[in-house]
Amino acid sequence: MITKKQLGIGLSVIGALILVGTFIIDFIGAGNFSGIGPYQQLALLGAGLMILVGLSLIPLGDTPA
Amino acid sequence: MSLNSLPGSKNRWIYVAYAFVLLALLAFIGYLVIYFIYAFALFKFPFDYDQGEGFELVDTLMFSRGQWPYQDNNTYPFYSSNYPPVFHLVIVPLVWLFGPQYWTGRLVSFVGTLIAAAVIGYAVQRGGKRWWLSALAGLAFLASNYIYHVGPLFRQHMFMVMFEVLAVVLLTIVIEREEKEGVRNDRGLLMVMILLLLAGYTKQLAYATVAAVFLFLFLRQTKRAILWAIGFAMATATIFFAIDLLTDGQWLTNTVTANVNPFIPGQTIGFLKQWFNLHTVILIAAAALAIYQLYAERLSAYAIWFVVAAVNGLSAGKWGAGESYWATAIAAGCILAGLAFNRVVDYGERKGRNWYVASIIAISLLFLVQANKFFHMPTHTPTLQAIAEILGKETTTYVSPQTSCSADLPPEAIGYVDSAGVGLIGRPPDAEDSEAGRLISELVAQGESAAFSEEAGFGLYLGRDIVTNPTQLLNLYNNEQVDLTEMLDMLENQQFDTVVFRAQFYPPPVLEVIGRRYETTDLVQMNGFVYCILRPKEMSS
Repeated sequence: MITKKQLGIGLSVIGALILVGTFIIDFIGAGNFSGIGPYQQLALLGAGLMILVGLSLIPLGDTPA
Repeated sequence: MSLNSLPGSKNRWIYVAYAFVLLALLAFIGYLVIYFIYAFALFKFPFDYDQGEGFELVDTLMFSRGQWPYQDNNTYPFYSSNYPPVFHLVIVPLVWLFGPQYWTGRLVSFVGTLIAAAVIGYAVQRGGKRWWLSALAGLAFLASNYIYHVGPLFRQHMFMVMFEVLAVVLLTIVIEREEKEGVRNDRGLLMVMILLLLAGYTKQLAYATVAAVFLFLFLRQTKRAILWAIGFAMATATIFFAIDLLTDGQWLTNTVTANVNPFIPGQTIGFLKQWFNLHTVILIAAAALAIYQLYAERLSAYAIWFVVAAVNGLSAGKWGAGESYWATAIAAGCILAGLAFNRVVDYGERKGRNWYVASIIAISLLFLVQANKFFHMPTHTPTLQAIAEILGKETTTYVSPQTSCSADLPPEAIGYVDSAGVGLIGRPPDAEDSEAGRLISELVAQGESAAFSEEAGFGLYLGRDIVTNPTQLLNLYNNEQVDLTEMLDMLENQQFDTVVFRAQFYPPPVLEVIGRRYETTDLVQMNGFVYCILRPKEMSS
């Protein structure tokens, strides 16, 4: 059984990975940063939301998710 | 608990509340009647109404003959399906009995939506035991503009949604009973997995519901979720690779590779705004309960499914995708909204008589607001027109026939209004449309070969070969998975007596050679589209 805190940590970590990955993909693909396109914007928005929600769940502790 | 059991004298306001409930039910039953009118008009229509329906019938016909529809697109007739087989296999017995009729698949899809709606209502009833709220939740699903548009089409999407709804509701029942009784129910969970497999092998988009189910299981029973996920993945892969082996690799090429299409962010944003605008009450109620469960309770399978399906709806921005991509989220939203409203009434009941009555009136009003947002209605009969007028709605829409191969035409009045805006589907086809389809078929029949047609309906009507599946061909071309040499040679040599265009969804080289070697000889309007009939240039002079 997963707790709210564990869910929160999980969401925050996945959100952070998406955030970092969005920029890394850009560098690997083009060799340089070519600006934040529409796909990256959507990914960043989603990642930001996941991190916010994740962090807000952590204080809920061991309550079952 | 009834109002009369609450302490205090009898409250006459309950009759006002009942009246609002009745009004809300009437509104949604009205939408159900309209849905039946549209569906029955489609059952009678013997040609493609929505792009691609005919190819679903061709897939079904091939299965009925013991053939795989996942074929080599490089050789005549250059045809392949890009969808999994379950929907078509279910329709095969009807094709055996009645022949290749469009109504068979339309009926199965339509019944699928009715089943989904009934299961949505059942899910809400389990949570609240208020039949009127359960009925409204189920009817709201069918009243959605998106569900109305595609429900009775010969397309597999809504049949997939039916399996998804069944899977998630069953999952909820199984886990609830396990947690209450403390006894594992592996047979029940196995049934959930079978339903998910059926959903996925109806249409690939069901991966979102699969993800939601396993996410829910992971939160509740982590080890069990991982073990069952491994088993499910193995079962899925076994079926997948077995079909791929039996079709010499055409299954993978046509159902996976060809479905990799460009993503259009503007299309996503447009659909997202429209989806929210049309389903505002349901979505806000569903989101509110999901957020409440996230922070104050345990997350239900419905809440996780709703969020995952809504995120997956963003893939409606893919070329070739459409409003139906939101259907799963609408189903999940209707269940959650119904459960949320039950909680509101429960709260009112606990607070006392006046709050109870007020909660019922408020929820009924919200459903009426939602019904207004959904407004769509054929107005091709005096009765339906009168109803639209009484409701203060427009009775006519003005729209130009859509054409890709002729001069633009001025707007025409059509007897159909829809709050989703002027769209390609929703107006019931009529006798004129059927006559137009027969005319196009007669023009094709003047030649001897199969037609190179953007729709399969005319070839099916005449019993001729069906040549290629244009959007599938275009997808394969864009993914560099097709060799057009033989097709281009045949077109260059004018081996097809007739070409029929509607939207010209063909690869550019195909359009180029047709442009050089064929010329338009006839224009026929059907279902608000202009069909261009082309003949070889030398023959028509």
